[in-house]
Amino acid sequence: MYDDALHMPRARQGQAPDVFRPGGWVPMREYRNDEPVDFVIVGTGAGGGTLACKLAEYGFSVVAFDAGPYFRPLEDFASDEAEQTKLYWTDDRIVDGANPLQLGSNNSGKAVGGSTVHFAMVSLRFRPEWFKSRTVLGYGADWPLDWREMWDYYTEVEQALKISGPVTYPWGPPRPRYPYRAHPLNAAARALAKGCEALGIDWTETPLATISAPRGLAHPCVYRGFCVTGCSTNAKQSALVTWIPRALAAGAEIRDLAMVGRIEVDDNGLVSGVHYHRDDGWHFQRARNVVVAGYAIETPRLLLNSATDRYRDGLANSSGLVGKNLMTQSNQAVWGVMDDEVRSYKGPPSLAITEHWNYADKGKDFFGGYAYMSQGPLPQLWANTQASAHGLWGGPLVEEMKNYNHVVGLKIVGEMLPQETSRVTLADEVDQYGLRIPRVTYSWCDNDKRLIDHSLKFMSRALQAAGAKDLWIQEDDTCHLNGTARMGDDAGTSVVNADCRSWDIPNLWICDGSVFPTVGGVNPSLTIQAIACRTADRIRAMARRGELNRSARRSSAPISATTDATASTA
Amino acid sequence: MHDRSRNRITQDRYPDYDVLAKRNGPSWNDKTREVIARRLSIDSQPLFFAAEEFETLTAIAARIVPQPASRPQIPVAALIDRKLHEGVSDGYRLAGMPREREAWRRGLHALDAEARLAFSERFAGLSGAQQDELLHRAEAGRLNAPEWGSMRCSDFFKRRLLHDIVLAYYSHPVAWNEIGWGGPASPRGYVRLDYNERDPWEAAEARPGHESEAARTNRHVR
Amino acid sequence: MSRAVERDVLAGAGLALSVLAAAAVLAPKAGSSRIRSQRIAALPRSGPQPRTAVRAARRLNGAAGMLAASVLADSSVEHYRGSFKNRAMYTPLVVSALTLATSLHGTSDMRPLAHRLRDGCYLLAAATGLLGTGFHFYNVTKKVGGFSWQNLFYGAPLGAPMAILLSGLLGFCSERVRETARSPRPEMFGLPAARTIAAVTGAGLLGTSGEAGLLHFRGAFHNPFMAVPVTLPPIGAALLFNAAARGQGRAHPFTRAWMWLLTAMGLAGVGFHAYGVSRNMGGWRNWSQNVLNGPPLPAPPSFTGLALAGLAALGLMREHRDA
Ligand SMILES: Cc1cc2nc3c(=O)[nH]c(=O)nc-3n(C[C@H](O)[C@H](O)[C@H](O)COP(=O)(O)OP(=O)(O)OC[C@H]3O[C@@H](n4cnc5c(N)ncnc54)[C@H](O)[C@@H]3O)c2cc1C
Ligand code: SF4
Repeated sequence: MYDDALHMPRARQGQAPDVFRPGGWVPMREYRNDEPVDFVIVGTGAGGGTLACKLAEYGFSVVAFDAGPYFRPLEDFASDEAEQTKLYWTDDRIVDGANPLQLGSNNSGKAVGGSTVHFAMVSLRFRPEWFKSRTVLGYGADWPLDWREMWDYYTEVEQALKISGPVTYPWGPPRPRYPYRAHPLNAAARALAKGCEALGIDWTETPLATISAPRGLAHPCVYRGFCVTGCSTNAKQSALVTWIPRALAAGAEIRDLAMVGRIEVDDNGLVSGVHYHRDDGWHFQRARNVVVAGYAIETPRLLLNSATDRYRDGLANSSGLVGKNLMTQSNQAVWGVMDDEVRSYKGPPSLAITEHWNYADKGKDFFGGYAYMSQGPLPQLWANTQASAHGLWGGPLVEEMKNYNHVVGLKIVGEMLPQETSRVTLADEVDQYGLRIPRVTYSWCDNDKRLIDHSLKFMSRALQAAGAKDLWIQEDDTCHLNGTARMGDDAGTSVVNADCRSWDIPNLWICDGSVFPTVGGVNPSLTIQAIACRTADRIRAMARRGELNRSARRSSAPISATTDATASTA
Repeated sequence: MHDRSRNRITQDRYPDYDVLAKRNGPSWNDKTREVIARRLSIDSQPLFFAAEEFETLTAIAARIVPQPASRPQIPVAALIDRKLHEGVSDGYRLAGMPREREAWRRGLHALDAEARLAFSERFAGLSGAQQDELLHRAEAGRLNAPEWGSMRCSDFFKRRLLHDIVLAYYSHPVAWNEIGWGGPASPRGYVRLDYNERDPWEAAEARPGHESEAARTNRHVR
Repeated sequence: MSRAVERDVLAGAGLALSVLAAAAVLAPKAGSSRIRSQRIAALPRSGPQPRTAVRAARRLNGAAGMLAASVLADSSVEHYRGSFKNRAMYTPLVVSALTLATSLHGTSDMRPLAHRLRDGCYLLAAATGLLGTGFHFYNVTKKVGGFSWQNLFYGAPLGAPMAILLSGLLGFCSERVRETARSPRPEMFGLPAARTIAAVTGAGLLGTSGEAGLLHFRGAFHNPFMAVPVTLPPIGAALLFNAAARGQGRAHPFTRAWMWLLTAMGLAGVGFHAYGVSRNMGGWRNWSQNVLNGPPLPAPPSFTGLALAGLAALGLMREHRDA
């Protein structure tokens, strides 16, 4: 039997699991609780994992906490949807609002590597204009970041993850060639392509964080199609198999099964460490800086749960915006069946994409944009979609499920606008650690609905043109979580500055999906990682100038001077 | 709901396909074998539910995912019982909904109460049509016995009852055979990805008039 | 037997045959040839050096055979992967097997006479190559996306049928060389044979290298050794072109050495590809997937086949003042 990652911490006694070898270990540096490390990072996903790696490589002492287990995918992951729910954040949460969210499997992970362990690997860049969507496009909020700088950080991340993508990308300003070639299209992807060609818009192979050729000890993708339940071949370039091993090699410590419950603030109003739960008890790790990277629900929850007499509304919350402007992305679909066998369970689920409606501004009656991709749901997910979204049960459900191998679908990732009413607050009930659980309130606005409407009409035409019949529409689905601690230029209207440093407490940082002021119409993880790379460069630059201990409000002023950081080090 | 006339409704689209025949081949890894073996070993004795509750659940499952008597039965109710027994959670619930265990207990009692109210009989004792009628009313939000408490019957129906039953059914290899899914796939995944392409280790679909050919092919799937 | 099982058997037989054949082509055939050479000595000697011509012809037969073996194995695997969806997909298996047999026959034939049947086979192979290229081209363009990287990478490989075309051409050349054994100089269609063959082989090397380049680009050149088959063969091609342009009566030792290098490279390529297969998930235990999805084992020996043809041409050149 294996040692049990779910119940016993694995990263300890100077070693951490080797994700590339069954039963293997790699050496890991360890820090004492009373030793103030340069950075404690809460969360090891797209934001935290990346930052832990970069900061450790820059020579800072780093301890990264994750509430979840430390898996070795080769031996711990089964090819089974039910079993693999162990990857998800399934601690108790309450959802409400006019359009309550689906969480759990649908939205967040709990493991070293965070949600990237079970994400769908779609790795897209923002459209440049979105970084200034308020000034240039007239909606949402501006980012305090310049797209040209981000373009370089995107390149760094694409190289680090060996993204497999098309030889040339049809949309947006030029980007360097993807390091690995695109994967072969499956039938579902060809249906998307056919629909696009019929309607006269561009399509391409989706840039994916799964390798199409060997890389070190990672095997190339075998097209098994279990991506959103965890990749047992290590083809998927999750944080777990990319940034984390690098972080360990550079001297970072990872603490798995360690839930951070509260951030401690000292008498000077600075943070001094974190209280965390591990091995059935609470401990305190001292730190000079704390970075929160728990994703857009756990991050505000931790900040709110850390309220003190001095910061009654939670940490970093003088703007009152912590938890507000939660944004998911619309994830509606059109489904149909083909006479041909499609068997979309083979291969990563979204092998083809069109970003046409992200880049076209004409012919829209809404703000923002959307991409849509081909789909490959596994049986449980598909049955649940047929039941809950299509309303089938009894004989009709069982019969319809027999068409499984003929199903094709197109699904959007659509931009939803930030609204203060969509938010994360604390409920009165507590979880297994005795911490107040989050209440997640979500409602679509009119613009969201217009966008969804537009996409469903368009995709219906596309799917029909591809030869699908018996179309039906899945109206209620969302994906990804962002906002809740937005970055900005002004302490009154944002929680952190462009460097992910909180306005209120100079040694408290937030570096994950929470900092997005808007979400755009693409999946967020590449942008989260690019921001983390940038943040690391900024921290190094500030440390060199001796600015780490000064107030965020002053040190961040010259945003345009950011380029002194060595932008693309990789 | 649509009638797909061009595909006649067959009992068996993938005759003689057995995903378990691949169990010892390169499509399954040890972890998968272990997990599925555990699932297949579940007997139909409840560990979490009381006998009466379990009976009601079994009756409901038979309406939500009816099974042909001609093949081994998927123990849907027992699968749900184990999940609750182990405390597996979705990780979120609608405001007003209790957590999984409490929601199920309450929902089952409420449905039994509704059955008594409408037909003076426990749910499990009703005819199929009567059971369906009650379930349709729950789905539409038209049941309001006091047993429901703060939980709306339509929320229970859609987010607990339907969700859990459907997931349980399609977590079982017998259901995978029914829909012709390739099943577990690691280390071996797939090679042939395009339209109408089938790897030799995938189920062959029966074309009208060619059922025995498909059956023969399916017996070779390893 | 069901159709699926038939296919398995067929592909397996193709593979086995090609492996045996490749071994036969490479193995020295000293014993049998001695006996035959005695027979040849009895033949009337009208040409200047019939023996060298026949030797060159036999070498060319060997080269053609090596190429045919590579095609047989490659098309067995690839068309098995394509489930023999189209009946025409059996053609290259049949034709390359035939070409292979023909070449083996030619390799052991010492007579300075062209052979009708062999000629017919080689022409058939060449025609199949042309037709196959057409088929593959059609397959690529009819897929959604048309003539795109995606379809070039993963659709029917455009360059593959060229190998059987080359095999046919080389075989055909061999017959012409053999035929002219008794004439003053080996020639084909009025062109000097050795130089023509050198040029054809050079072109073949370039094409094959292009194909390797495309597929190794698909693999992102993740291993530095993947650059080898796109650098060494073009140099070899240039050397052959050079020899063809001003070759008469020279020994071209460097070009010959280079051809031996390419011969070895083609064989070593199989080893590298085998290693590539082992690096895929499940390694060789998962052969039923990885032999198809990993780097193609039978592809690199086509370089060997071409290099052998180059050697034959060079040999002819060395020994024939005006070849
Ligand atoms: C099914 C699915 C598919 C997706 N597909 C894509 C895709 O194709 N492309 C894409 O770009 N994005 C995708 N995403 C989204 C993407 O995974 C996330 O946006 C991204 O991982 C978020 O990064 P993060 O760093 O903010 O948080 P995460 O990656 O979720 O990391 C947060 C980590 O923090 C830990 N944590 C939280 N709170 C605490 C605490 N208090 N103490 C200790 N640890 C804590 C959690 O356990 C978790 O591991 C997908 C998501 C899902 C669920
Ligand atoms: S399809 Fe590829 S990336 Fe997805 S789980 Fe399988 S091997 Fe991993």
